[in-house]
Amino acid sequence: MVRQRVERPIESATSDSEPLVVTGLSVRRVGDGQLVLPATDLRLGAGEVVAVVGASGAGKSSLLHALLDSLPSGLRRDGGVVRWRGLPIPEGRAARRWRRAHCGYVGQDPILALNPLWSVARLVGEQLSGSRRNRALRVREVCDLLGLPAELASRRCGELSGGQAQRVALARALATEPDVLLLDEPTSALDAETRSMIVEAVRAHPGGCTLLVTHDPFLVSVADRVVDLSPPATVTRRSPAARRVTVPTPSTVTSPPVRSLAAVPLAPGHGTAPLLAVQGLQVARPDGTPLLEDVHLNLAHGSWTAILGPSGSGKTSLLYAILGRRPVLHGRLLLGGHPLPADVRQRDREQRRAIQLVGQHPAGELNPVYRVGPAVARPLAVLHGVGRRERAREALRLLGSVGLAAEIAHRRPPALSGGQRQRIALARALAARPSVLLLDEPTSALDRASAATVLDLLDRLRDDGLAILSVTHDPTVAARADRVLHVHPRRLVEGRTDGPLPLTDNQTEESGAR
Amino acid sequence: MTRIRWSAVAPGVALAVFTLALLGRYLAPNDPEQPVAVPWSVPSTQLPFGADALGRDVLSRVLAGGANLLGVALTAAAAALLIGVALGLVAGWWPRWAGHAVRWFGDLLLAVPALVLALVLAVALPGAAAVVVAAVLSGAPLTARVVAAQCATVRDSGYLHAAVERGEHGAVVLVRELLPALRGLVAADAGLRLITALQLATTLAVLGFGPQPPDPDWALMLSENLPGAALNPTALLAPAVPLALCALLCAATARTATREREGVW
Repeated sequence: MVRQRVERPIESATSDSEPLVVTGLSVRRVGDGQLVLPATDLRLGAGEVVAVVGASGAGKSSLLHALLDSLPSGLRRDGGVVRWRGLPIPEGRAARRWRRAHCGYVGQDPILALNPLWSVARLVGEQLSGSRRNRALRVREVCDLLGLPAELASRRCGELSGGQAQRVALARALATEPDVLLLDEPTSALDAETRSMIVEAVRAHPGGCTLLVTHDPFLVSVADRVVDLSPPATVTRRSPAARRVTVPTPSTVTSPPVRSLAAVPLAPGHGTAPLLAVQGLQVARPDGTPLLEDVHLNLAHGSWTAILGPSGSGKTSLLYAILGRRPVLHGRLLLGGHPLPADVRQRDREQRRAIQLVGQHPAGELNPVYRVGPAVARPLAVLHGVGRRERAREALRLLGSVGLAAEIAHRRPPALSGGQRQRIALARALAARPSVLLLDEPTSALDRASAATVLDLLDRLRDDGLAILSVTHDPTVAARADRVLHVHPRRLVEGRTDGPLPLTDNQTEESGAR
Repeated sequence: MTRIRWSAVAPGVALAVFTLALLGRYLAPNDPEQPVAVPWSVPSTQLPFGADALGRDVLSRVLAGGANLLGVALTAAAAALLIGVALGLVAGWWPRWAGHAVRWFGDLLLAVPALVLALVLAVALPGAAAVVVAAVLSGAPLTARVVAAQCATVRDSGYLHAAVERGEHGAVVLVRELLPALRGLVAADAGLRLITALQLATTLAVLGFGPQPPDPDWALMLSENLPGAALNPTALLAPAVPLALCALLCAATARTATREREGVW
């Protein structure tokens, strides 16, 4: 039973101009045979950029994997044909050969796929042939195209920021000039300026066609066509003239009341002391290069501070420094008026509980071994000594509050989508009942509706005193903040910067909108 | 679609063969140490594998001869794996301090050939103890190395940091978060350790440092039955085949375990 999916061609292309044709491709889970991706048709014309959109967990990444015949072992292709220039590509060795010869692929969380010990230049040039000099030139060229500075070339991949790693992965895919470029959330960690650079690079890649999975409205707007994987009932008809922003499915789970999982306020130290004070903090890269200097921040109960800034400017490093993950060169941290050790290992349990992070790379945030329910419940056991059954109930409630169905509790992270994992990581951080929540690109893997669910939840938790510090490129996140700070070369400054504002959306230009 | 995959049945077959070898002595039709026929009798319906130099039933000796060998090998492999994984986790988690110490000491041990080490130990210790100690000294540093190297790739994972940041105890982080992430590697390494321990135990037994005649033992049978290979080749093959089979099954099981840990959920 092949159900035709909604696909709206902008211009009717003839079949010979479409190198890649996919018909009826569907994917099932191996274990319980559940349909992950219903039969999907897809055509990719020469030089065409097609965006795949849909709610979190709609099977977007699975579509790419099925197309490439690189599905993880928990999933299998259920049916469908992939044709390349009219010839069907059988699964197995032929698909592998085709993949190598014609495809460039960048997955979600590329940083996890890049060898952390290799230099950027080596990674980008790995699949190139030719003389050493020509290879180096090509690497340089591609890096320039994506705005990767020259001094990055010798740096190890493990030291890159999320946005830089994302561009290195893309550079690696672009370097060989593949016929088809398949990108999974290629801009989730990038600011608007860098994003347009990516779009240009993708557009410019010669003769090739591009299939990109994205939640980014900007990327969707520059695509030639949009394929929506949401269930047909919820897909809204779009006029070609209108800006093609997806209207995604409303999340299937109604959020239960979340008052009970409110942040536990710290015992007030000094009457008016802010919850968390950062004083004169200097943040450096692991190798000692300074990134941010003299950072002053006060986070009050119930406040939301957003930090914006270009890729690689040290935003994540700042969060790590506050969290105690990274050594601090200068400055100090005060939690509820009391000094907070710089190293997390020297903090006591209460201090650790107070500050929780939801990290940038959803795939790496969860141990692949543990089922979601126990993983979310773990902080309740460790930090709050909640009993087993109470814990399981609370975990389900937390999952519900971030818009995830209860059945997810029995699954393991590798079987879940990036957006689902991102929300699970948030649920786990909330289970610790933190006083300060650090969010690193909290909505990078989420569609609009899921993102709204998450942001609404966070807004409600603020009423109970939770302080939020978020690093983001997403205007909708910044719009929720009371205070927006920008990274101006090595400093945090209030409001907008002089340079080109790294955001295109009007709503964030007014920093103190709330 | 219902094709039986070797990787799926390997663990079951391995378990069956190992159980049979360990409990085989209770299934032996004859006393493995008493002569029952003419020396070097060829296989017959009474004696399916014939008889050896002293006219003892080869089938009974094969059934009874695996327990000791496999027992020693399993003990040696388990000890090597346990110590190696523990050292590897510690070295991988604290690369500066423990890492250097473990690597330095491991390199020192690896400089000594395992067999020489085993032979020297066999002079001083009983055969079984020599196998265990030699397997640990030669195997644990290897295990520690690969485990530590693998640790380096996952130790910056968000979930490990998250565990530390929610106040998990150091040992809990290692055992509950880090070790499960490496379990595919550990499973594969367990197979390797078992195979090398089996080889070591066999070699020492063939050289006469293990069980002594008239004990039934696969390795001992190899050296005992070699002179009669022309008269009754089955007597030589009968212990050789299960020995090889055990090694193959270890390898196959380890591979299956590795593959499953890589993401069949």
